[in-house]
Amino acid sequence: MKRSMAIFAVFALAVAAVPLAGDNYLLQQATFVAMYCALALSWNLIGGYAGYPSFATAAFVGLGAYAGALLQNAGLPMVAAWVGATLITAAFAALLGYGLLRMKGHYFAVGSISIVEVLRLVASSWAGLTGGGEGLNVPIMPGGPEFAGRVFLYAMWAVMLLAFASAVWVDRSRLGFGLRCIEQNEDAADMVGVPVTRYKTAAFTLSALFCGTVGAISASWVSYIAPTDAFSILLTLKVPVMVLLGGPGSLLGPVIGAASFVLIEQTVWSRFLDYNQAALGLVIVLLIFFLPGGVLGRLRWRAKPAVQPGAAPAAGSAP
Amino acid sequence: MLRRSSILKLGRLAAQATVTAALWTASTGAWAQDVIRIGAPLALTGGLADEGKKQQVAYDMWLKRVNAAGGIQVGAKKMKVELLTYDYQSDEKRAQQIAERLITQDKVDFLTAPFGSGHTKVVAGVAERYGVPVMASVASSETVFNQGYKYLFGTLAPNGGIVQNMAVIFTRLIPGVKKIAILGREDVFPRAMAAEMKKAAEANGIEVAYSEFYPVGTLDHAAALSKMKATGAQWVFITGYTQDLILARKQMGDLKFSAPIVTMVTGPSYREFVDGLGKLADGVTSASWWHHSLTYKSDDVFGSTEAFYKEFVAREKKDPDYVNASAAAALVVLQKAIEKAGTLDKAKVRDALAATDILTFYGPVKFTANGMNQGRDLPIIQVQGTKIVPLYPTPIKAGSLRPVAPF
Amino acid sequence: MIGLQILVNGLTLGALYACLAVGFSLVWGVLNVINMLHGSLIILGGYLTWYAWLHWQVHPLAALLPVALLLFALGWVIQMTMINRLVRQPVLTTLTVTFGLDLILYNAMNVLFDATPRRITLDLGTLSLGEVVLAWDRIVAFVLALALTLLLYAVMNASRTGRAIVAVRMDRDAAELMGIRINRVYAMTFALGAGLAGACGALMAMVFPITTNISGLLLGKAFVVCVIGGLGTVPGALVGGLVLGLIESLSGHLFGPQNAVLIGYGLMLVLLMTRPTGLLGRKGYE
Repeated sequence: MKRSMAIFAVFALAVAAVPLAGDNYLLQQATFVAMYCALALSWNLIGGYAGYPSFATAAFVGLGAYAGALLQNAGLPMVAAWVGATLITAAFAALLGYGLLRMKGHYFAVGSISIVEVLRLVASSWAGLTGGGEGLNVPIMPGGPEFAGRVFLYAMWAVMLLAFASAVWVDRSRLGFGLRCIEQNEDAADMVGVPVTRYKTAAFTLSALFCGTVGAISASWVSYIAPTDAFSILLTLKVPVMVLLGGPGSLLGPVIGAASFVLIEQTVWSRFLDYNQAALGLVIVLLIFFLPGGVLGRLRWRAKPAVQPGAAPAAGSAP
Repeated sequence: MLRRSSILKLGRLAAQATVTAALWTASTGAWAQDVIRIGAPLALTGGLADEGKKQQVAYDMWLKRVNAAGGIQVGAKKMKVELLTYDYQSDEKRAQQIAERLITQDKVDFLTAPFGSGHTKVVAGVAERYGVPVMASVASSETVFNQGYKYLFGTLAPNGGIVQNMAVIFTRLIPGVKKIAILGREDVFPRAMAAEMKKAAEANGIEVAYSEFYPVGTLDHAAALSKMKATGAQWVFITGYTQDLILARKQMGDLKFSAPIVTMVTGPSYREFVDGLGKLADGVTSASWWHHSLTYKSDDVFGSTEAFYKEFVAREKKDPDYVNASAAAALVVLQKAIEKAGTLDKAKVRDALAATDILTFYGPVKFTANGMNQGRDLPIIQVQGTKIVPLYPTPIKAGSLRPVAPF
Repeated sequence: MIGLQILVNGLTLGALYACLAVGFSLVWGVLNVINMLHGSLIILGGYLTWYAWLHWQVHPLAALLPVALLLFALGWVIQMTMINRLVRQPVLTTLTVTFGLDLILYNAMNVLFDATPRRITLDLGTLSLGEVVLAWDRIVAFVLALALTLLLYAVMNASRTGRAIVAVRMDRDAAELMGIRINRVYAMTFALGAGLAGACGALMAMVFPITTNISGLLLGKAFVVCVIGGLGTVPGALVGGLVLGLIESLSGHLFGPQNAVLIGYGLMLVLLMTRPTGLLGRKGYE
């Protein structure tokens, strides 16, 4: 635990120090790294600890983006809009969780991925509120690109820190223990007295919280959102891959996975112009076959020695 | 043992960071000051690849001509042009990344915007932050230009102009057109077009019997088309991308849904539409921002519409469409502005762009306050047989409007 | 009467949906694998059919069987080399791997064929029954879709392989104890799924403009059909498909095209929460 936190601290400091390098492009890359780390850490709560493979990440990011954009356009200062978006996303996730978390395994996966599509369709047809296909403009933050670059880097960085902190808290708490029990065998956990529904919903809500913040920050960053790009199926599929790459169910796994994934993506797409998608697909396939526990699994080091990172076939109840 | 792994971990992270830094530094090109650098984020793979390639061809044609003439005159010296192209894979986040990269890493002087309103907006946002003039060649909706950006300029005229002419002309030439049924795709440009058509119809006393939108990702239009057929409308107006329009037209045939006027935007402007529909394309009208039979003569690297057309046909073995022309025109306009400003200073070139009022091989270009090219008589076309025939304006009229044969 | 037209539209669309989903349903139900490749396989079938038509003037109906066989073979290879190792893995793993494979296939198709919409311009004409109009190619697709599903049903119930597949679906371990070679069955099922996707692609090439851009959409429809109708059974896919087609057609008419697809998804979510086994699914089987 302490080791994980120390290593993360070093990583976070490295990211925070990027502006000193002076290069705006590097700054942007670092912002993406922080963003994906936050998303991966969030996903890990429901996908890694609880063992519920959620593909709803993009739904929450998109919802946060729209909520943030609408709040900002309504006159709220930027950061207040981000906070508001976070709360709205959390409330939505809590309500949604009630219905969605009743499903298990495949059904949960399919249900969660459809939420992304449903929200996209709603954003698309509720034109009066969301502008429909036209999208929403968000005012550009004044202050010039270097300043804006820093603001957004530190914003994503802060979210990453918060996500890590919540992961630490969950890991240490009864909630975390309960989630691990649920992941191993939900019925047994229920019989033993773990408040299964409450814990699952808590994990789901927590996993959605920071996705909403990320979405709202993204909207302010790009200054324009539209349904198809805000609710991106590709994003929702990439985030679990990042966690799988690093090692699910651990503290550092998502961070390693997200950082490595961004690095791989950068080097891949700049080199394989026509085949970048295929290259990404190949990376994913190789990852699953040759790194089943993720990088951390390979290094044979887990945050909590007793925990098997999610994919062990012995965890029978998850079909 | 655990301590060793944590050192391993740190070492790995450090190594990663070093490699990353090295890669990124290496990718910064050498900065030559005798070359004008223009950045071109293009969708060369992914869903928008066809359109991206159209832009690429046009840019290349302009580039070759400009450099063959020695480059662009900047004040006292002539400077050659370098075009930096990156594929953003039809992905919005990538578009933003590449725009930033072009500006901060590759230190381009100017940018071009990719196909499509949404991605144009994203690139324009980045450019506006850095104060880099960006030329948009395929964005025609007012909503793209409504953020108050000072550095964004577009060569396509606004949507409104297109449909207004059609409303007046069609009702005059084909009697009995009392009702119109409008179906639009819920996407920046097609939606805007449908909305404009509704306004133009109402302004000309045509009853809007049906007006709905279909979401991105619709596989079947039968429900909407059945309802439209039931209204008995004489004018059917549908917007969308090529595959939507091919499907919609085909399903009109499936339902034996006939109407004397069938307009699809922008379908018939593209060869793919006619090829994909065969006989069903006959009679479909549309409007475009440019047609290759226009007869402009201009003081730019092409010299005339005909010269552009000839070179394109020789090179690509097919007719150019408005995307090709607009893309090349965007760079022509940029060139003229640089020459006029006499410097590469971005703010000064920006001002020169804003004051543009010239005639190019593509047509007259003059920007209004929001950066859009002023509307003028935009060509109205109709597919007759397998040919795309311009009907309007008079200088390029090559045929008369025919009602669509009933099924 | 527009009501009848809506009904007919819904049924013809529904048959296509059933056809595109049945292969997916089989793989999901028997192998417990959500095959993200499915949409792209359909498009591949469509592209191959179109290619054959354009270059060798092969009629799509004639191309149907060869294309299906080609994709069957492809499915077999993919299964034996990759999916086989992952069958017992949780959904996260299998979905992610098939997603990765899908990216590869999708990219390959984009490079080989590019995303321009392609359509086989057959123009078979229409049939008018009173006020209701039907396109002949949709009728043909409808009949063929039904025929394929019925054929599959017959195969499943009558042939040894088919019965083996059903047995594995009902209880894998018991089937193994009875001497059924599980790996063989898995390969067969996945290959069948791919072959059906190919056949569906050939049918769709007659009716829709084919482009890689819609592969994700087709996959989405497959999800919805499976949930509505129930997993792993042929009648389930058929019912699910027809129901979805009817719902979309009716909703499009009543609530406008922008809500038609949404309502289909909404129904799916409701069913997932209340009756995940779908309209025809068997209880207790996940």
